[in-house]
Amino acid sequence: MVTINSLRTFSAIAYNELLLNSKRVAPYVMFIMCGGNALLWWGWGPATGRGWATNSDFFIAGVLPVYSFMTLPLFTALMMADPVIKDFRTGIDPLIFSKPVSRAQYLLGKFCGNYFTLMCGQSAFVLTLFVLQWVSKQGVIVQEAKFFPYLKHFLFFVVISHLVLGAFYFTVGTLTRNAKIVYGLGVAFYPVYITYQVVLLKSLPSPWPTILDPLLMNRRNLHPTSVDVINRLVVVYDANEIINRVVMILLTTICLAILYKRFTTTERSGTVEKFSVLNLSTAAERVYYHESLQATLVDEFDYKAARMLTGVAVPEVVRVNKGIRAGTDKLIAALGVEFSLLRAERSLVVVMPLAIFFSVLEVGFYNIPAAGSHSVAYATNTAKLLLLFLIGIVVFYTGEAMHRDREVKIEPVIWSMPVPNSVLLLSKFLATVVLTFSLMVVVGLIAILIQLVRGHTSVEFSAYLTVYGVVLMPGTVCLAAVIVAASVLLRNKYLVYVGAVGTGAGLFYLYNAGYNHWLYNPLLYNLWRYEDLTGERILAYRLYCFILAAACLAVAHILFERRSR
Amino acid sequence: MLVIRDLMKTYASGVQALKGISLQIQPGMFGLLGPNGAGKTTLMKILATLLQPDSGTAELDDLNLIKARAETRKKLGYLPQDFGLYPTLTAAQMLDYFAKLKGVTGKKERRSLVDALLERVNLSAERNRRLGGFSGGMRQRVGIAQALIGNPQLLIVDEPTAGLDPEERARLHNLLAETTRENTVVLLSTHIVSDVSNLCSHFAVIRRGEIVTATSPETALAGLEGRIWEATLPREQVDGLKASGQIISTQMAGRHTRIRMLSKNGKPAEPFVAVTATLEDHYFIVVNQV
Repeated sequence: MVTINSLRTFSAIAYNELLLNSKRVAPYVMFIMCGGNALLWWGWGPATGRGWATNSDFFIAGVLPVYSFMTLPLFTALMMADPVIKDFRTGIDPLIFSKPVSRAQYLLGKFCGNYFTLMCGQSAFVLTLFVLQWVSKQGVIVQEAKFFPYLKHFLFFVVISHLVLGAFYFTVGTLTRNAKIVYGLGVAFYPVYITYQVVLLKSLPSPWPTILDPLLMNRRNLHPTSVDVINRLVVVYDANEIINRVVMILLTTICLAILYKRFTTTERSGTVEKFSVLNLSTAAERVYYHESLQATLVDEFDYKAARMLTGVAVPEVVRVNKGIRAGTDKLIAALGVEFSLLRAERSLVVVMPLAIFFSVLEVGFYNIPAAGSHSVAYATNTAKLLLLFLIGIVVFYTGEAMHRDREVKIEPVIWSMPVPNSVLLLSKFLATVVLTFSLMVVVGLIAILIQLVRGHTSVEFSAYLTVYGVVLMPGTVCLAAVIVAASVLLRNKYLVYVGAVGTGAGLFYLYNAGYNHWLYNPLLYNLWRYEDLTGERILAYRLYCFILAAACLAVAHILFERRSR
Repeated sequence: MLVIRDLMKTYASGVQALKGISLQIQPGMFGLLGPNGAGKTTLMKILATLLQPDSGTAELDDLNLIKARAETRKKLGYLPQDFGLYPTLTAAQMLDYFAKLKGVTGKKERRSLVDALLERVNLSAERNRRLGGFSGGMRQRVGIAQALIGNPQLLIVDEPTAGLDPEERARLHNLLAETTRENTVVLLSTHIVSDVSNLCSHFAVIRRGEIVTATSPETALAGLEGRIWEATLPREQVDGLKASGQIISTQMAGRHTRIRMLSKNGKPAEPFVAVTATLEDHYFIVVNQV
């Protein structure tokens, strides 16, 4: 019987998950990306130009399954993979399981807390669409403001779809205690789902494709004749769609029931997965012995025997700490370590493929008008889409790099080393820059490959070099420098993120409202055409961009203090 | 020699952590004993160039540790009380990185240094294991290994044995004892008295930001000879003893209490017997004195 106390325990666990998730980067990245996605659908989606109202029932119900498929599965995997693994990894599991907490309370609390966080991230899409009802843009039609369709269709097309996916990922992650498997499943979702659609669902008679499609992409197609009818249409869910949703909820229940039956709190014989663990428990926090007992044991310990364990002479070494060469060597070493730490960030497993996928989506599947050359069209198109991802990557990963040492508590050790401040700052700055440059290279190569596959030859490397080298690279350098300076000034990762997101949102609003000037748009968002990239004016813009970057780095260097708390 | 003069530090919160610390520390191992919150870590951080004092000086031979921070770091090995390591790097990668930061540029030299350090801290077998999977003791050993890179002239180890099991503690004691070179000042901060009695030729006790005693273990014990008394008494008699001398420590033993007392005027009462003084007695006496 469910008692008030058991509900309290369940809600305490769920609330704690919300608290933990509020300190992670992923939900914020997700929120921003989903909001940005909504912005694109609203202003540059199928509604514009066709006369569809962007707050019509038809548009909302039509766009949500597509959004649910294109953006969310990887985030579902990321968020639902490791809520339980984290407890085992940080070693808090014995503290939790020694309390009067049942398996059901624990698992449901964990699932609901994380799924609610996921839902909040997902909701950024509909929230943005909802808010955009009060924003006017040329070509965008808006009817009288409404609220209920957003909520109704979001719950129906997004929340229930990802409930089953989330339960599946949560079950796999918890039972295997290996988040990598779940991330693998998350990445494999697209090919598996597309194959499932093409091979199985398309061959089934109606209504099975609708009933068996977890994302409801196979809804019956409505083809109203006039725009007026479309905008007045009220979307009603048919019986097959409702059956589908019931099936999905049942599958979720079955998944969680299997998990409940199979989940054990006992320790595994093998080690719990330890990759990219920030195990911050210090030696001082581990108390194995009562102090008096410890002292007695040490006093009685056989020092002679223990001495056998040591005794290897540490060789004398030559140390070079002066001169440019020494500084450069240290910078290269620090850069190597910072870059390897960046590569170990788990979220990159999701963010990088997503960035590549969306950057080449248009050139891969749509016809890009090539006024001059195909390479120019491909490079321009991919650069415009990639820029948005680069902004996110630079902001969040530079922020992570700048605050990692403090979070891992290695700061006092590093700060006591004979390393100039410039090395500490530049290594983090350059690591993010190298990461983004690598992403540009990969996107560029994939775009060239697509160009070849689609027969849009000949390939002009100079077009890619010009676009990426003149537009993307200086912009990335400048933004990374700004974040470095902001991190030094604010000394708090979340303040930096909030500041960056707020400023970014404000600037993008200004740019789209027509107030777009190179002085406050060093990234040249919507401020360039390929023909402009070879003139003298662009040289001045880029010079300005580099001067801004240098100024930010100088400010960071001046204000950086090895200040212990 | 490390000379500290009138070091003062008050935090922004108003807590006066150091109230004019002065010490003269010869090469060798010097223990800094004190209860939690006494100011040990603040003093260590100042000497490790991580905190600026409000006033006072600290000099290692002719080097001003407070002003010439960059120079100080070249001669410093520091093991903080609470530190972490990059969990995704292996032990060898981490030490190699620290060696590079300390200016060991030769690749071969660095490799043999890392090998020797790992051997020394008994982690050779774990050299390619990620640090995220290391136990507290193993991480502490990596910490001490990094502090030893480049044969520092000033080695600061802040509470290195806290939380370690007896074997790890003994290993760390040996390591510290063996690595103390002729011209190296090793400053060991701890609240475990046996760390000092096992390792240090001299020590100081710090309490509420002030040095209350600075001496050698031998001198400290000599000063207590014949003045420490012990007895096991019913609990209700303990309160009545306070007038007879300073109670150093009490320990419950069933329905009785084992009590150690300091008495300068001979036996405080029956059935007390004279016992050999320990450094712990000295510590309790100076820490608890009004």
